[in-house]
Amino acid sequence: MKALRFERSIARFAAANLASRLNPGGGAKVGPLRLRDIDPPQLPGDDWVEVLPRLAGICGSDLAAIDARSSRYFEPIVSFPFVPGHEVVADLATPIGHLGAGRVVIEPVLGCVTRGIDPVCTACARGDLGNCERIAFGAIEPGLQSGFCCDTGGGWSTRMIAHVSQLHAVPETFSDEAAVMVEPTACAVHGALAADVAEGDLVVVLGSGALGLLTIAALRRFGRPCTIMAVAKHPTQHRLALELGADSVVLPHELTRAVRRASGSLALGDGDIIRLTGGADHVIDCVGSEESLTEALGVVRPKGRITMVGMPGQVSVDLTGLWQREITLAGAYAYGTETLPTGQRHRTFDLAFELVEAADLGRLVSATYPLSQFETAISHAAAAGARGAVRIAFDLRNEKERNRA
Amino acid sequence: MARMPINRSQTTSVMKRLPINRVVANTVGRTSASVGRIARSVLREPTVPAGVHKEQKVSTVGANYDTDWARNYPARFARLLVRTIVIKPIVEALASPTIIGADRLADIDGPVIFTANHRSHADTPLMMTAVPEPWRDRLFIGAAADYWFTNRISSPFSALVIGAIPVERKKVSRTAIDTSLELLAEGWSMLIFPEGARSPDGWAQEFTAGAAFLAIKSGVPVVPVFLIGTDEVWPKGSKLPKRAEATVVFGSPITALPTEDNRSFARRIEGAVAMVADEQSTDWWQAQRRAAAGTTPSLQGPPAASWRRSWARSEPRRSGGRRTWPSV
Amino acid sequence: MPRPGFVLDVDRSTPPILFHHGEGFRLERLPAGRSRVIYPAEPIEPLKNPDAAIRHALVNPIGDSEPLTALLKPGMKLTIAFDDISLPLPPMKRPDIRQRVIEAVLELAAAAGVDDVMLIAALALHRRMTEAELRHAVGDRVYDAFAPQGLLLNHDAEDPDNLLFIGTTEKGEEVEINKRAAESDLIIYVNINLVSMDGGWKSTATGLASYRSLRHHHNVRTMQHSRSFMDRHASELHSANWRMGKVLKDSGVKVFQIETTMNNNVFGTEGPMSVLQKREWEWSLSDRISMAGMKTALDLMPQRTRRQIFQNWQAPHAMTSVQAGEVEAVHELTTANVYKQHLVPVEGQTDIMTMGLPYISPYNVNSILNPILVACLGLGYFFNLYRGKPPVREGGVLIMSHPTPWEFHPVHHPSYIDFFEQVLSETTDPIRIEAEFEKSFAEDEWYRHLYRTSHAYHGVHPFYMWYWCSHALQHLGQVIIVGGDVRAVRRLGFKPASTLQDALEMASDVVGRDATITHIHNPPILMADVH
Repeated sequence: MKALRFERSIARFAAANLASRLNPGGGAKVGPLRLRDIDPPQLPGDDWVEVLPRLAGICGSDLAAIDARSSRYFEPIVSFPFVPGHEVVADLATPIGHLGAGRVVIEPVLGCVTRGIDPVCTACARGDLGNCERIAFGAIEPGLQSGFCCDTGGGWSTRMIAHVSQLHAVPETFSDEAAVMVEPTACAVHGALAADVAEGDLVVVLGSGALGLLTIAALRRFGRPCTIMAVAKHPTQHRLALELGADSVVLPHELTRAVRRASGSLALGDGDIIRLTGGADHVIDCVGSEESLTEALGVVRPKGRITMVGMPGQVSVDLTGLWQREITLAGAYAYGTETLPTGQRHRTFDLAFELVEAADLGRLVSATYPLSQFETAISHAAAAGARGAVRIAFDLRNEKERNRA
Repeated sequence: MARMPINRSQTTSVMKRLPINRVVANTVGRTSASVGRIARSVLREPTVPAGVHKEQKVSTVGANYDTDWARNYPARFARLLVRTIVIKPIVEALASPTIIGADRLADIDGPVIFTANHRSHADTPLMMTAVPEPWRDRLFIGAAADYWFTNRISSPFSALVIGAIPVERKKVSRTAIDTSLELLAEGWSMLIFPEGARSPDGWAQEFTAGAAFLAIKSGVPVVPVFLIGTDEVWPKGSKLPKRAEATVVFGSPITALPTEDNRSFARRIEGAVAMVADEQSTDWWQAQRRAAAGTTPSLQGPPAASWRRSWARSEPRRSGGRRTWPSV
Repeated sequence: MPRPGFVLDVDRSTPPILFHHGEGFRLERLPAGRSRVIYPAEPIEPLKNPDAAIRHALVNPIGDSEPLTALLKPGMKLTIAFDDISLPLPPMKRPDIRQRVIEAVLELAAAAGVDDVMLIAALALHRRMTEAELRHAVGDRVYDAFAPQGLLLNHDAEDPDNLLFIGTTEKGEEVEINKRAAESDLIIYVNINLVSMDGGWKSTATGLASYRSLRHHHNVRTMQHSRSFMDRHASELHSANWRMGKVLKDSGVKVFQIETTMNNNVFGTEGPMSVLQKREWEWSLSDRISMAGMKTALDLMPQRTRRQIFQNWQAPHAMTSVQAGEVEAVHELTTANVYKQHLVPVEGQTDIMTMGLPYISPYNVNSILNPILVACLGLGYFFNLYRGKPPVREGGVLIMSHPTPWEFHPVHHPSYIDFFEQVLSETTDPIRIEAEFEKSFAEDEWYRHLYRTSHAYHGVHPFYMWYWCSHALQHLGQVIIVGGDVRAVRRLGFKPASTLQDALEMASDVVGRDATITHIHNPPILMADVH
């Protein structure tokens, strides 16, 4: 079958890293991602099924991997060679029980259940699949998610496999675009709820790419009522941020002053502000870079909270402010089960389905590409903001071999 | 009478020992002897026979030195060059002068008489560089005839480089007055040190009436000037100047009232210089109030023994408070 | 003999006209047959002996007032208030008029035995003056005598302990001024009347006031009813100040007003800058060489250097009159003297008005002319330099020429940055801005801190800049800026054009083709007397 495969080649890694410095997304051409004809993955057991991806999204973490910019942290929890693609809406190859013959969305985290581990670890027992302690153990190779594991395959191909526990049925009313947005929306929902915003808080959302916009929507719908200030560089992002529920949108260089006025804080330095003495109650960082983290530390109030939803890497940040102002810095990864402010518990994906429908998030898929145009697709995704796009996805529906038996 | 260092016989004996033609040696010996003879006749003063009264030559140096040539264009240009290329850099290097109050001269049209206190030789070159345009280029200085115009070397030097005219210290000679009035009428400004001499202990001496007289006669305004620090740059009695900081303070110009005579105007000039001095040691407002109340401290210092006078002079100037942070 | 101002009808032989363009110049051709250029009068001869004139004025007062010598008594409390750095424009060469007047006043005070003297820069909600700026204004002698003892101060309108509420006018306007001044036996106000807006009761009632007082006349309604604020008799701004002056007078605050006027010799009559004051057809060869040389040199320089060169210019404008005594009587005389230099008779209005904006306004001395100040300079000051009617008709178009950089001085204008980024992005309507945003800016603690301790304009000041444009915004149909930063111009709510020709093309949508044009050849300052 045709697939984009991420192969382990030191030389290619180096080349990708260099190329990406000149041009984000440039790693696609020279890097470890290759378009191949490979054998489809084998089913490791009865509780696994084959699925045929229809659309598969390109996420920020995928881009980091392609440009060989991911942290070495991932080495033990990723197995080469793998097919990327963890935001997947797919057809079932053969109908299964309650799911019928319809479409499914895959919840990519490979926890204890998918790995055949019994009894499950405490995190999986709680429903916090993202915190599973067995992601490198069990019946399948190490891999934190489908799309990073050599045994499961991934969305950027015509066939992959999934454990039945990973499958969520897609309602008839959902378009494919809407369905492919469910997984990223789930990340955003989890991050928004992890921040645990109190009523009336001032929340700054850094980054208005897909993750930032989805976080704004999630905050608006599921969080307690609060004031959301979004930071957006590009006009499309500006417009969407307001539509999805932000109260105000500012340019990056205006942020400090805007937060100062909104929070009524004073500032150090004369008119040339050095930093604020007060600040926002919450900052949700949907970028994950050195600059965004420094910015977050600069605009959050003492005893405030920074929630990192965007994946960072190895960054160098002055943490004196964190200590002196008693700031909480917390990560938010993936999804599992959420407790809403009302006290009810839901699986994150269920909340994500709800949000995708309510806010019509399918429109955020700005363009799709076939596998053969993967280089264009990657460079479009890497420059999405500037090019007025939000989410780019691979379209597998027209691949010839897909429809063969 | 000069003696030739070598006589004919010595010459010939030296010549004999040198490997030269005897004829040449003899010729050289004869020539040197005749040169010596001619020189002696020129340089020796003739003796005066008895019974004849030799006329006394009128000295053309000293108070009678004619300085007109020093005020024509080539001389003025030369003075400008000397002032710019030689004097100014030296003054700036030695005295790092600060000039205060020059804006008070902004509205004056025509020449003025600058009256300054006198403490050292550095006063004159400092004034020459500190006086602003346009008075600087047409400035003449009344300088002591017995110091600056002693001989035929110092006279032209003083006239050219300083632009001085000779003035006698104690009596006011006719020529000095006439020259000064003529020059003032032609638009030349004058610099004069009314004390007459440099102060022995730093305090001023009584201002003589020369400046007052000239001001009244010519109708030209007087600008009081107070010089600070020049006695440290070139103390009276030391051979060479040294580095120190000097300040030139210009006061508001004053004009003689119709009711004033030389004496009273001279006292007023001294008072004006005293007020300028008071401004510098306290501040302008204090000086104004003390002048209005008649309590400006005298330039001549406290009536006390010399050490106490020196002591009082060296009292530190009052400095204003400063904030810890530099102002923007 | 200085020639009066006049109106030139542009024909085909008219050479290109000089437009100021920030720190630079443009030469523009105006369409022949339907354009006119209003030229200012040549500078009036200044006083030959300003110090003597000042001394004479102090002892020969105008109106119901004793001579100053009679008003100064030993043991009295005296406050001398003087105009701040917004005057004169550009800053003048030393000695400044204020220095001359204050020294003359203090000489009389010293002779009268007055000891308790305080000097206050009457800056209302403007920024505090720096040491160098104060030295330039009052001279080193006065500065060194008073500043070290804390007797020379910047007025602090946010110091609750140094404000005194005096009373209310018949229209309910609160009068609150500097406490030290209010409690003095005499306030001597040292004024420079650069334009006919300055002086009179505005000196004390605005210059020494607080926000509580100022908001009653620094608002949209007052500015819309000031047509123009350069003409006291048609200006609601001045009526309000005069009402406040009456409250001051009635409460016993005694003011001895010293007003001075200046000629408009901004660039000098000789020297390389004098070409900017000469009529274009009278430019000699050396003038043309100067002009070409200046333009080329300026184009090659970086913006910072250009700005430094212009901000360092000290103009040779000089005093033309001085009068002292009772506030209102003195001011009538001063205004007449100002008009003598500025007024140019103009017949009728045109469809379009053009103006070239220079690098300086009252609020950016030694600073940056940010976009809000560009708007205020053009639509506020230059537009309102008229008596009778504006030179452009109602619904007409205003075309201004200025680079309008999106640049702000963070120390001087911090609240302007927030106003531009956060308020103007919401709305440019002065009425909405006043209703929704003024209070939060006026009461913001940080702006207050910067106003009191740094050198920043008060938090509410950018609003006043915007209100200053109210009358023009109501009157005009469209505003176009030529050669400005496109994003900044759009944020202001105006239209950007790259050349004057494009601007005239755009204007034709509003006023039709063959529209008539007036160009105001300002600076040097002129005031159109329109019939």
